[in-house]
Amino acid sequence: MAKRITIDPITRIEGHLRIDVEVENNAVNNAWASCTMWRGIETILRGRDPRDAWMFTQRFCGVCTTVHAMASVRAVEDALNLEVPLNAQYIRNLILIGHALHDHIVHFYQLSALDWVDILQIPKADPEKTAKLAESLSPWTRNSREEFKAAQDKVKAVAASGQLGIFTNGYWGHPAMRLSPEVNLLAFTHYVQALEYQRKALQVVGMLGSKTPHIQNLTVGGVSNAIDLDSPSALGMDRLEAIHVLLNDVVRFVNEVYFVDVCALAAMYPEWFKIGRGVTNYLAVPDLPLDTKASAYDLPGGYITNGNVGGVHAFKTASDKEFRESVSEDVTHAYYRGEKPLHPWVGETEPAFTGWDGEQKYSWVKAPRFQGQPMQVGPLAQVLIGYAQGHPLTRKYADLALNKVSAVAGVHATPDMLHSTLGRHAARAIRAAMLAELAQKHWQLLVDNIAKGDFTVYNQPVFNGEVEGVGTHEAPRGTLSHWVVVKDGKIKNYQAVVPSTWNASPRDRSGAHGPYEAALLRTPLARPEEPLEVLRTVHSFDPCMACACHAFDPSGRQIAKVKIL
Amino acid sequence: MKNVLIGGIGNILLGDDGVGPYIVRLLAAHFEFEKGVEVADLGTPALDLIDQISGRDAVILIDSIKVDCEPGSVLLYRKPDIMHLRPEVRMDPHSPALVETLLSVEMFAIAPRDVLLIGIAGGSYDSGCRLSTPVSASIHQVVGEIQAELDRLEITYRRRERPIESGIWWTVPKPAPLPFTA
Repeated sequence: MAKRITIDPITRIEGHLRIDVEVENNAVNNAWASCTMWRGIETILRGRDPRDAWMFTQRFCGVCTTVHAMASVRAVEDALNLEVPLNAQYIRNLILIGHALHDHIVHFYQLSALDWVDILQIPKADPEKTAKLAESLSPWTRNSREEFKAAQDKVKAVAASGQLGIFTNGYWGHPAMRLSPEVNLLAFTHYVQALEYQRKALQVVGMLGSKTPHIQNLTVGGVSNAIDLDSPSALGMDRLEAIHVLLNDVVRFVNEVYFVDVCALAAMYPEWFKIGRGVTNYLAVPDLPLDTKASAYDLPGGYITNGNVGGVHAFKTASDKEFRESVSEDVTHAYYRGEKPLHPWVGETEPAFTGWDGEQKYSWVKAPRFQGQPMQVGPLAQVLIGYAQGHPLTRKYADLALNKVSAVAGVHATPDMLHSTLGRHAARAIRAAMLAELAQKHWQLLVDNIAKGDFTVYNQPVFNGEVEGVGTHEAPRGTLSHWVVVKDGKIKNYQAVVPSTWNASPRDRSGAHGPYEAALLRTPLARPEEPLEVLRTVHSFDPCMACACHAFDPSGRQIAKVKIL
Repeated sequence: MKNVLIGGIGNILLGDDGVGPYIVRLLAAHFEFEKGVEVADLGTPALDLIDQISGRDAVILIDSIKVDCEPGSVLLYRKPDIMHLRPEVRMDPHSPALVETLLSVEMFAIAPRDVLLIGIAGGSYDSGCRLSTPVSASIHQVVGEIQAELDRLEITYRRRERPIESGIWWTVPKPAPLPFTA
């Protein structure tokens, strides 16, 4: 008899992810992903000035502010066929890279490392041995015995106090936790150090965007940064140099710590290369444009169907005709009125809540489809699509990661293993290393362009009649697209198809699972009442459902409920 | 010089959830503060709140709260009130993180000495950029609580002779100036 397990964070009103799995013989045999809150924020935008839309869209989510701002201005620029000056492209690219590096580091260390790292093993570690191990893996200068000892003392103090504090809710001592005390200490120490470097990445965003959260420097047609090499209040050499110093620190952390840690972790949990495969249709859009028309990019896009990596299709531009015409949203299993799948330009958002019913409607997330198929988006999609196209930068870091895993695990790691829970973590680290290299490139491109005497940052938008556009961005969680229809200078329709709706999608009219759901099938659970393995796979996607609300709940009911029926 | 953050938390697109950002912007328009005081609309920062509060001497946060009280009720919470709550097992890693944030900065010894959360019980969290009537009516009281905390911390501030543009760009029509007493 199958047991039903619901993992449902009981948290008031904001957008939350609920996962239901059916377990038989200690493995998942069915799964449902649902979001428990209606967003419908797009309705606020109707009738507004499209030049203001980005200010609103960057409030969709508190974590992914920048990405929604960027997709929004790009959507309006696409509708108007408006070019963006080179300086503006480079400044935007640097902001996007800074944001993505921050996001990837935070995701690995703060949000998912503790699915794999057992805090309660740390007091048993030998800091000397840990330092030796760390030195064998990386030239990072902060891998000293003293750093490890200091981090271990923090954990010992917390453990001795009897109050686990931030670590209260981990599945410590779970049989699926298998790292040695030394590796646990190493990862935890980097978790502490990551706090410093993620902040530096955010400072880059703030220095270019004039503020975080919520950058201020965007405008439809470019950016509003004044470029003046001699003025301290404008973007000049002083500020550019300061940005360079910050970027270099973050780049070193990514290459010498994050990338290395993910490879080492992967080598120590090799069975997770076989778990969590799920939907093997992948979608990514090209990003980091290199010219004013956005016809060349530093990150490639395209799509792969049914895991057929060799048959990859490339998108030439970020608003490729095939992409524009192939996206629809299905509401068969979502709490909305509507019959057939609709293209986002004619998309409707009419809520009709009917309560959770796994056979009927069970989520507030619509089911986005590409050519009628569910697609997995995110760093893994981007890395596989780039790798398949022979993109040199993708190949460089993907091969480096696979070689590192092979060396530590003593196995032969291949790109095919990336279709997995661990593959999603590895791909995120690969992407971070690519972005780290591109950060330095785009900084230099900006400096060189300014040195030529080009200070242009903005082209004036002109509105006429009815036009439609799509703005895309390959965000940290994957393909983001904003779809806008503008009539007589006002917004007529606006839909955002966000990465987590692709991945957290419910079933569609044909019954096809969304990527989270499919990835959970056949996952083995050591202890169904402590479904750590489910968390590992869901977290590997880096879910962000909370394009939503944030009231603080002082009643203390902020604990995930694991309910077994 | 004390390093102080007065931060408004919440989503301006979801009714009363936007009360924190609304109040701090109004505050900055009506008051000037001594050097070292930052007034910031933080949106919904989740774990990025760690970066915002670490290393500060004092933090005053204004946020909507979910409590069993009349909408518009104002409740005050100090560090121990927040930190005894259990952090969440995160399915979705980006939900509210005040408890996690405080526990983290305490553990890493970068926590502000003084933390005050001024909570306003929300009425409606439906999509839209408007505050409900009872929550709007609480704004004066919240500003009074912020002033009281600044007095306690011996931070100087003064009311501007003429308020500056509030920067509350999301409401139509623009908010009317509020009847603050200095």
